[in-house]
Formats: sequence, structure tokens, C-alpha cells
Amino acid sequence: MLAEDRRNRLRAAMNGAGIEALVVYGNSWQSDYLRYVADFSSIEGHGMAVVTPDGAVELFVDSVAEAERAEAETSGIKVSLAPEIVREVAGRLERIANHRIAAAPLGFMPKYIAEKARGYKLEDGTKLVDHLLMVKTPAEIDTLRKAAKLADDGYAVFRQAARPGRKQYELIADIEGFFRKNGCADNFMIMGSGGKDVYAMAPPSDRIIKPGDMVTTELTPAVHGYFAQICRTMVLGKANDAQKKAHALYREAMEAGIAAAKPGATAADVARAENDVFRKRGYGDYATSKYTRVRGHGLGLFVDTKPHILEDVDTVLEAGMVMIVHPNTYHPEVGYMVLGDSIAITPTGAEVLTGTPREIFEV
Amino acid sequence: MRRGYIGWSKAELPEAVFAARVKRLRDAMAPQGLDAMVVYTNNTRTAGVSWLTAFVPYWAEGLLVVPKSADPYLTMAFSNRIVGWGKNVSCVAKFEGGGRPGQAAGKYLAELGAKKIGVADLEGLRAAVAQDMADATPGAEITDATTIFERVRLQPDAAEIALAAKAGAIAQRALALATGKETILGEAVSAIDHAARLWGAEEIYMAAAPDLDRATHFIRPEGTITPGQRFALRATVAYKGSWVRMTRCFGVADAALTEAQTRFAAAVGQLPNLDGFRAFPSWSIEGCRLAQPLDVFAAPSMTNPRPILPGALLTAQAVIAVDGNKIPVAAPILTGAAGFPASLLVAPVFS
Repeated sequence: MLAEDRRNRLRAAMNGAGIEALVVYGNSWQSDYLRYVADFSSIEGHGMAVVTPDGAVELFVDSVAEAERAEAETSGIKVSLAPEIVREVAGRLERIANHRIAAAPLGFMPKYIAEKARGYKLEDGTKLVDHLLMVKTPAEIDTLRKAAKLADDGYAVFRQAARPGRKQYELIADIEGFFRKNGCADNFMIMGSGGKDVYAMAPPSDRIIKPGDMVTTELTPAVHGYFAQICRTMVLGKANDAQKKAHALYREAMEAGIAAAKPGATAADVARAENDVFRKRGYGDYATSKYTRVRGHGLGLFVDTKPHILEDVDTVLEAGMVMIVHPNTYHPEVGYMVLGDSIAITPTGAEVLTGTPREIFEV
Repeated sequence: MRRGYIGWSKAELPEAVFAARVKRLRDAMAPQGLDAMVVYTNNTRTAGVSWLTAFVPYWAEGLLVVPKSADPYLTMAFSNRIVGWGKNVSCVAKFEGGGRPGQAAGKYLAELGAKKIGVADLEGLRAAVAQDMADATPGAEITDATTIFERVRLQPDAAEIALAAKAGAIAQRALALATGKETILGEAVSAIDHAARLWGAEEIYMAAAPDLDRATHFIRPEGTITPGQRFALRATVAYKGSWVRMTRCFGVADAALTEAQTRFAAAVGQLPNLDGFRAFPSWSIEGCRLAQPLDVFAAPSMTNPRPILPGALLTAQAVIAVDGNKIPVAAPILTGAAGFPASLLVAPVFS
């Protein structure tokens, strides 16, 4: 159902733009374009799909394990094991060179495929697919609600897992085990533990969790390829006054951002609402790129999809978009702190998808 | 996504190992007149840069520059706030983040005055990265150096073989935790996934053939799946940059499993001759030759299999038909020196 809806929407969008064929790329980090077109998320190697002018979809993968999996997991598409994938996809495009062909994302295309010397011309189809990826159907949003519920449940497991004496990667093993047990095949998570010495979340290390540590994480489980995210901070022990005060700042900023997220507003409006709270309290420097990357981002078939919530991103929000609002950044008195909820934009404002209390947890 | 423990283990990968690999690469570059070799890395194509530096990206892409004599330089497209993590988990003289890898690598190459630059898998390099590098190195010749890099990367050293054996041991021990009596596939998958990560796996990808009487295809277990009477699980495990696949079957009689094991070992023993594998209903040989950890070397649908060299570290998979059962088997293998048979690096898990 999801796959068929996506394919129908894609065909309509291509027809509307006069695009006759499309080539997309995906890998294990970012498979959203590929999943949208071929209903397949890469785990290993490269995956590329070509929508041919007759509307058929051909999937090329360069991993033998992936070719076998794609044969079993997809329907209605042609799957090819392509050990020399860039040459084989280029060869396929050569055969439809007299049609209008778009590539998405154009910037991800391998050099051999993108070279002007080829017999075909590639137009940039990124925006066309990006809009489909950003604005979800009701069925897609329903799937994201399930992913958000899983994120909440996962955070409850994380709170249990975080105990003094354990290594960071051991916590993540617990979470991954929980997700696999519940049929969740994919998740993205990073974390931090410590105090003012922690400037960001990072991949899990062998750092040992200690009493008094502030432990941060973002969990991003997927259901049928759709990722929802939650960001929370806990303290191993009692939160001190500085940590509580800092958390109140992040909560005020996140709630201001969520309140600003409505159809017709821009991503910049959401970022500005969050950052104004920091500026108002004298922490404006910590809302800059020196200390933080983004103030939130889109969610869907990729964990970090468009729009990025930044004051210079003018993407207009539409009903059907799903994103996380997270004013995560370094705080000079307590260290890196996170708080974020997944939301869906509805015609009247934001529906919050995650339900974990917005508190600084003490365990 | 990547979710496991990425760390540089100096006990298992002393600095001398990387120094020796860099020297081997430089020795191979010299006859071609290369001033530098450039190797790309991202979440999928980790195994070139990790082999030379221990670094495995959790996300983001990057380029490693190995000049003919100056310090190797790794540039990653992630925030400078993460660079501290990157430096902690890698063995490379210069490590930077924050920029566009093509621009940063090109700037370093230009500063070195590199005139002839080799790139491993230049055709597969993201076009925008290649263009950035070319723009930053006007006048330099950028050439495909896949063959040079491949020739060096294909020869495992003792450290790499030991890490593959450890990855195999993690897979074997983890697969042994499933009982075969699980009513939901997720219970078995969870036990294996969890244990492998606790034991330090950098990554584990679980796959399942949920009902061997219907199909032997391995799929990604998602949602609620009830296993059939006979089913199989496959663990693809990475440990410190070395990847292996192993399988375990459930519900199949021990005698059939033993026979499958014997036939699998016999086919492995015939390598590089593929005739033993060609007798199986399906099979593949994989290994690392550039940057993809498990690249396909040979499979029934490949018209031009890649050569299987003496001393290669590979993973073999097959489905073996015994007494009406179709039994998937996978295990890491080491091909012998010229004239000597290949052997299993880790015994396949069967019952």
C-alpha cells in the first residue's frame, strides 16, 4: 500500500514536470530516494534505481546479499546484481538517452554516471523527489506515529540501561536488542555522557557511565523504513539546580519552536522561535553553528531529511510534513543537553508524535 | 545505519600495522609515478580507509590522502565538534573535519605540489567530491588508481586475518544463543544482535530465511514474523573493520547438517576452482578488494567472476541440498598459497 502510493505519486509528479525517466541513488546511510522509488532500503553497497519511460522500475545493487534480499522483499520491479554498478546503470541510461532523464539526488551521482561525456543528459530531479519525501500521505504519517511510539518505548529501555559502570556501547546494545525484539530493523542513535567536557553527541564509545553524569541521546527507530526521533537528557542521580535551569531553557525553546510550526510558516520561523528563547536568556551564542548543527530537521525515509530547521532555510511548511524540533546544543554551565519531539504538521498546527514527558530524568 | 562500537584497539591493531600497510601502498604507487593516492570513505564504503587508518565513519563521507612521502591526511565532512571522537578512534597523522572533503583534500594535495594523483575507484567517487578535488588541484593529473590499490588491499596481513577470525567467533557465539524454539523471529534476532554488540561488534546485520521449506532467500527481519519448522538466521558481523557472514539453521536433522558441512568444506577446499560451489543450487564468494567490506567476487549470475588469489580472505555462502532439505551455509575462508587448498577460518555453525 505504502509502496504503491509512493509509486503513483512519483509518476504523477514526473508527468507534471515532463520528466520521462528518473535515476536515484541510495546507500545504508541515506536510502530515502531509493526506498521511495523501488521500495528498497540499502544495507550494504550501492543501490540505484531507474524509472524507465514505460513506467517500469529497475533496481541495481552491487552486493550479492542485497540482490537476494531485494528479490524477496520487493515486488513489481526488476532486480539486477550489478558488480560494476556505475557502468551498468550508465549503460541503462544510454539506452533511453533520447528521453528527458532526471537524477535524484543529483549531487549523489557517481562521477562516471554524471560525466558530460555520456550519451544522455541528466536534469536535477532532487526538488521533485524532495517534495514527495517531505509531504507525507496519511498512511505515511500513521507509520511515523508507530515509529514515534517505538521511540518512546526505546527511551524507557534506555533509562533502564543507563547505569554507573556500564560502557556507552553496552547501553546501545540493550536498545538495539529491544528494537530487534520488537521487529524494528533499523535505528540511528548517538549519545553523550559526562558534564561540561561534552560538546556534542557522538557514536557510542567505551567511556564508562559515572554517577552524576548527564546522559544524552537521540533515538531514531524506523517502521517500514520511516524514522521518528526522540531526544532526551537524564542525570545519573539528582539533577542540580544548574541542570534544571538549563533544561527549562531547552524546554521553553522547543515548545516555542513547536508552536511556530504550522502551515505557511517557514523552517526559519521555527528555528528563530527556538533561538529567540536562547537569545532572550543570554545564550544566543550557543544557538550558532559553533555549538550546534541544526535546530531540528525533517523525518521520514531518512533520519535527517529536509527541511533543516535553521534561520536561513526558507522552506515553507505544509500539512503532512514530519520533523523533529530539537534545540540541542552546548550549555556553558552544564555541557551538551538535548530535548526534542517529533511532530507532524497538520492544517491547524503541530501534532506531537512522541509522548515521553519533557523532563530531565533522574535515575 | 551504523550502531555498534567503533574504537581503535591498539592491542589488535598496533600503529606498526598501519605503517606497514601505508608503506606497501606507497611501494605500489611508486612505479606508477603517483604523488599521492586518494581513498574515499562513507558509511557503506568503509574498508579502504579503515584498513589504512582504523577509522570507520558512523555517518558522513571523507577522503584519505596518502602522499608518497608526507603525512597521510584524513578529512571528514562532519562538524568539528565530532573531530575529537574521530581522532580518538583512528591512527592517522592529520585528521580534520568541518569542510567539503574534496576541497580539503585538494587543498592538501596542492600544498604538497602533487602533480599525479591516483584515486581508488575514481568512477564510483561522488561526482561533486571529484569536482571539488579537481578544482582545488589545477594542473594536476587525476587518474584512476583502482588496480594499484586493489592489488595491495587484496593481500590480508596477520592482523586482518585475526580480526576476521574474531568477527567470526563473535558471530558464531552470538548465533549459538538462539534456541530455535522462539515463537517470534524477533526474539532470536534480538538475542544475537544484543550479544554481538555487547562483545564489541562494530556492526551486525541480521537476516533470516524464515521458512526454508518455502524459500532460502535471506530477508531483513522486520515486524512480527513467525518462523517455520525449518528456518535459518544469518549474522553479518563487523569487528574493527573486518566483516564476515555466518549462518545457522534450525529444525534440520543433525545428519543432514553434517553432510552439508562436509560438502561445504569440500567446495572450499577446491578454491580457487569454483566447480565445487557450482554444484550447489545457489552460492557466492565475497571479499574486500577496495572499500566495500564484502564485495562480490563470484556468483552464478556473474559472467566475469573476479580472480580468487592465493592467500585471500573471503566469505563463502551456499545453499546445499541434502535429503530434501535446503541448507544455507556461510563462513569466512582463507585461500591457500599457490598449490595449497583453501580452508575455513571459522567453522560454520550448524545445529
